[in-house]
Amino acid sequence: MKTDDSKAVITGAGINFSFGQGELRKQILFDVELAIQPGEIVLLTGPSGSGKTTLLTLIAGLRKLQEGRLDVLGHSLHNASQIDLLQLRRKIGFIFQAHNLLPYLTALQNVQVMFDLQPDVTIKEGRERATRMLQQVGLGERMNYHVSRLSGGQKQRVAIARALVGRPELVLADEPTAALDGTSGREVVNLLQSLAREQKRPILMVTHDVRVLDIADRIIEMQDGHLTASSRGSSSAENHPAKGVQNEPDIANVTL
Amino acid sequence: MSQRIPLSWLQLKHEKMKLFAAVAGVMVSVVLMWMQLGLMKALFASAVVFHGSMNGELVIVHSQYEHLLHSKVFSSRLLYRLRGSPDVSDVFSIYLAPGEWKNPWNGEMRSIQCYGIETDNASLKLPGIEQHLLQLRNTDVFLYDRMARPRFGDVVGAVERREPVELELNRRRMSLAGVVDLGASFGVDGNVLVSHANFLRLFPERKSGEIDVGVVKLRPGISVVSAQKQFQKVLGKEVQVLTVEQFKELELIYWRSATPIGIIFTAGTVVGFFIGFIVVYQILYTDVTNHLPQYATMKAMGFSDGYLYQLVLGQSVQLATMGFIPGSLIAAAMYAGLRKVTQLPLYMEPMRGVFLIFATILMCTFSGMLAVRKLRSADPADVF
Repeated sequence: MKTDDSKAVITGAGINFSFGQGELRKQILFDVELAIQPGEIVLLTGPSGSGKTTLLTLIAGLRKLQEGRLDVLGHSLHNASQIDLLQLRRKIGFIFQAHNLLPYLTALQNVQVMFDLQPDVTIKEGRERATRMLQQVGLGERMNYHVSRLSGGQKQRVAIARALVGRPELVLADEPTAALDGTSGREVVNLLQSLAREQKRPILMVTHDVRVLDIADRIIEMQDGHLTASSRGSSSAENHPAKGVQNEPDIANVTL
Repeated sequence: MSQRIPLSWLQLKHEKMKLFAAVAGVMVSVVLMWMQLGLMKALFASAVVFHGSMNGELVIVHSQYEHLLHSKVFSSRLLYRLRGSPDVSDVFSIYLAPGEWKNPWNGEMRSIQCYGIETDNASLKLPGIEQHLLQLRNTDVFLYDRMARPRFGDVVGAVERREPVELELNRRRMSLAGVVDLGASFGVDGNVLVSHANFLRLFPERKSGEIDVGVVKLRPGISVVSAQKQFQKVLGKEVQVLTVEQFKELELIYWRSATPIGIIFTAGTVVGFFIGFIVVYQILYTDVTNHLPQYATMKAMGFSDGYLYQLVLGQSVQLATMGFIPGSLIAAAMYAGLRKVTQLPLYMEPMRGVFLIFATILMCTFSGMLAVRKLRSADPADVF
C-alpha cells in the first residue's frame, strides 16, 4: 500500500491506541499527530508510561494500528498486512535499549547478518560494508571479537553499525543510552548523530536521557498519551540536515 | 531469505558442552536403532539360512508341517511322481531330526539339528559343500556347522589344527568329514549334515523313504508359479508345495508369533528414536528459550519466521549428521563383535542405513519443529 502523500518520512494523524479489552481497556495514545521530515533527527521524550514507546512500536510496524492514519516510508499502516509490515521493517534501522546481539557471533558477523535481508548484496560486498561500518563506529580493531568480549558501550556501537549498515531509510532508536554510563552514552549518540547526518538518515529516538537532548533537530514531548510540545533542538540552528554532514559534536554543549 | 553466515552452525558450536551432549544423545539413539533393527533382522535371517540354501525353486513338505522343529514326514514316493515331469530337472529329499551331541571335550550332551541329505547331488547350495559330498558317503561321518554355538566344543579349532574329530552323536561314534556354514538360530544351536544312510543309522526309529522335505529343481525357463500349482494338483492334499520364499515365510511366521522378538526389537527401536528425540528437543528448546530476546530482535528488524525456523532446523540437521556418522561407526564395531560372539548374521545393510539416516533426520527435525514453536512467543513488539 503505497501512498503519495508527501515527502515526509512519517506522517500520522488522529492516532488512538489502547491495550486490553472491555473494562480493562486502557488507552495509551490520544489523537496523536506527527510528521517527520527527511534527514531530521527527532527526539521523543516524556515520563515513563507516557506512550512514547508504544508510538515507536506503531511507527515500526510492530503493533497493529487501531485508529487513525499513519504513513511510514510510503507504507500506509492502516490495515497493513504482516508481509507489508515486514517489508517496512526491513527499511528501518533499529537500535534497542538492549542491543540483543547474537552472542555466538563476532561483531563483524552480527553486522554482516543484516545482509541476509538484502540478498542482492553479495557476500563480499556485505563483508566490506560491514567492515567499513565497524571502522566508522570505532571498532575496526575488535571486529573479530565475540560480542561477549566487548564492553556495554562497544556492544551498543555494534548495534548501531548493525542498524545502519543496510542503509535504512529511517532509524528508530529506543533509549539507546539507558544501559550506558555518561561517557559511553555520549559517544554513542554522537556517533549516531554523525552517521545519520552523513547518510542523511532521519532518526526518531525515544529517550529521557537529558544529557543527549542537544543532538536533536526537534524534540517532541509526550505526556499521558498526548503530544504536548514540540521544540527546536539545540542542534538544529547550526546543523540542519539540509546543510549536510555534521562533524564531531561540541562536547561543551552537553547538558550534564 | 537464507543464511549466508552459517548461523545454525555457529550457534550450535558456541556452547561446546551442549553440542557434545546433543551429539552424544543422537549417537546413542543411532547406535540403539542400528542394534535393535540389526538384531531383529539377524535373528529372523538366522532362522531361515537352511531354507534359503535349497538347491531348487519349490519345496515340498507335509500339509501339517509348521516349521523345522515341528515337521511331519511324508513318503518320498510322492516325489518320484514329479521326477517324470518334463519341467523337473531334479528332486532331492531331506530328512531332519534333532540329535544328541556329546561334546567330546567335556562330555556334555546337547541337542543339535541333523539333516540327512543326498550325496550324489548337492541338494543344498552351501558354499564348499560339494567337496565334502564324496566323503559324506562313508559310514558314520558328518559335516559340522562352523557357525554353531561354541557349546558344542571347539570343533572348528580342531579342524584348523588338523586334528581328527570323533564324537558321539545319538550314542553312535561318528567322525568329522568337514565343516560348512549354516548358523545357529532361535530353536537350533547348531547343525549337522549326514548322508541318508547315516541318518537312518543315527535314527533307527526313522523309516527309509519317510522324508521331511522335498526339493524340486525346475528346468531353466519353467514358471515357478504354474509348476507350483500343477504339482500341488498332482500330489494332492497330503503335502504342500511351496516356493522357497513361502517356505522361509512359514518359518518366520512361526517365530514371529512364538517369540516376542518382533515386538521387543521394534519397541527397542522406537525407544532409541525417542531418546534422541527428547535429548535434541531439550537442547534445542533451551537454546531457543535462551535466545528469545535475540530472535524477537531479529523479527523486529525484518527477519522472517522462515529465516528463524531455518536457523533452528539447520541445527537439527547438523546434529543428525554429527550423531549419525559416529553412531554408525560404533554400531559397525558392535555388529562385528556380536557377529563373532553370537554367529548371528549381523551386517550394516545399506537399506537399513538409508532408513536410519531418514529416521535420524526425522527425529532431529521433529524435535526442532517442536522447539521452534517456542519462537512464536518471541514478540517483536516486546523488544522496545
